[in-house]
Amino acid sequence: MSTRPPKSVSLLANLPINILLYVTLIVPFILMIYLAFLAWNPAGGYEWWQAPIAGLNNFIRAFSDARFIAALGRTVLFTMAVVGVEFLLGLVLAYLLLGEFRGKRAALSVIIYPLMLPWVVVALIFYLFFQDYGPVNNLFLKGIIGEAATNIHWFLSPTTAFITLLIADIWQWTPFMFLILYSGLSAVSKRLIEAAQVLGASNRTIFWRIQLPLIRPLILVALVLRALEAFKVFDIAYVMTGGGPGTSTETLSLYIYRVAIEYHDISYAAALSLIILIILVAVIRVFIWYSFERR
Amino acid sequence: MSIVTKALKYICVGIFLLWILVPVAWMVCLAFKSYPEWRVAYFFPKDPTLSNFIILFEPKRIIGMMGATAIVDPVTLPLINSLIVVGISTVIAVFIGFFTAYGASRYNSPGPFSLFFTLLTRMLPPATFVTPIMVYYSNLKLLDTHLGLILLYAAVTVTYGIWILKGFIDNIPREWEEAALLEGATHSQVIFRVTLPLIKSGLVVSGLFIFLLNWAELLFALVLTNVNAVTLPVHISKYVGAVGQLYGPQAALGIISSLVPLIVGYMIQKHLVTAFTFGMVR
Repeated sequence: MSTRPPKSVSLLANLPINILLYVTLIVPFILMIYLAFLAWNPAGGYEWWQAPIAGLNNFIRAFSDARFIAALGRTVLFTMAVVGVEFLLGLVLAYLLLGEFRGKRAALSVIIYPLMLPWVVVALIFYLFFQDYGPVNNLFLKGIIGEAATNIHWFLSPTTAFITLLIADIWQWTPFMFLILYSGLSAVSKRLIEAAQVLGASNRTIFWRIQLPLIRPLILVALVLRALEAFKVFDIAYVMTGGGPGTSTETLSLYIYRVAIEYHDISYAAALSLIILIILVAVIRVFIWYSFERR
Repeated sequence: MSIVTKALKYICVGIFLLWILVPVAWMVCLAFKSYPEWRVAYFFPKDPTLSNFIILFEPKRIIGMMGATAIVDPVTLPLINSLIVVGISTVIAVFIGFFTAYGASRYNSPGPFSLFFTLLTRMLPPATFVTPIMVYYSNLKLLDTHLGLILLYAAVTVTYGIWILKGFIDNIPREWEEAALLEGATHSQVIFRVTLPLIKSGLVVSGLFIFLLNWAELLFALVLTNVNAVTLPVHISKYVGAVGQLYGPQAALGIISSLVPLIVGYMIQKHLVTAFTFGMVR
């Protein structure tokens, strides 16, 4: 086959995708860059093309906005915490499930179902779970610390509210780490492991010296994809805590959403988005180069 | 392996399974409990009832139950909207994804920009580009319409269509297509009559996966809809916010909105890793 596509193929392959992308995403992206340099608030009663140019004011404001910096820091902390815990749990679990044993298929299909639930439903599940009279207080903690357990208000203190978010995310996404690591570990050739066993290597040596190094590229893929996904965190914060108490569990996505939708400060929201976009695009570009284009 | 390590292994896996099962078990039990049992400290309802589910479908009304009052819309409209929006956008994403993947697999056709851009839209937080879309949609009068959501959902998930289907197309020998060309078929006939039928299972896998993602999407729908095109996740978020203490109906709502994704998810159980990682892991 020739390397230059015939007209019909190139039309089919290029036209629909480009129309879809330009109509729904690229035009708004360009609009965003313009909006970020305006001083526009729809409550002012005029359209964006009539708004005065603000220059770099929105960006300068962002860097002295304590709430923005706090939300950014909190989101980074959230991402590192959940990715770390999920990776460790997923790795342990993948290693445990590696051999054959009775009920393995059933265990596998139980482990992966949280992945299929909508994020909002996960938020709802843990919202119900951590109520004052929910099972955490009323069943589990009551057994340990007695009647005082129902006085713990998970969503009313900044630390515990943040912990509920971490738990919800870890609950849903540990299976994701598990799946990737498990498929990697089970693809490691059995012969290699047998050969090492014959030479007298212990299980621990085999794990650290053979299995882990062989799945290193996979670990990178899993960590980066999960980190990008965790950085988006919006649904659980919006539904479970609403960013509260106060703004103490407000994530970056939630803050931008609020600036745009609740405070109608569209051009400031656009500037905040642009700052985050530039950072993330650089990260993603390096990652894509590393995993798709390097060889 | 010694008996001790084996027992330890079973215990660890068992604990993990409990940790996965218990939160959902609580919600499921709660959905069948009547009001007096919402705050009790045991799982199984003594007197199972369906009233929590029935309440969700009753016409718009004010629910007042022991201190919690709220105006609650029935779940019917969001349910229908979700099915329409997610269904149509999935079909669009799969077919556009297929054509693009075909070009990418056989000819390197759509330039690297489109491919990078589609990956980007999936990896960036939706909150960072929903603001200009809202402005743009309000100028185009697309706010609160099905069409607006359908186009956006198709655009942000088409990347999964491309990468999953590219894997399937790469596995079809080129010789088969060349043979059809030699027999006198045109290029478009080859695409529709040879390649498309051969990757039916790929279309199903990518379609179901995209369905799963769009079914769960909250932020876009929250910003871009208001009354007419409200989807299920938006309905849930309003329901939790407005009626904080109605645990029973909330749990029932959770069950209703996770039935479809669970069925869909188990149908593509084996392909989940590939799908989630854009085909990087098989």
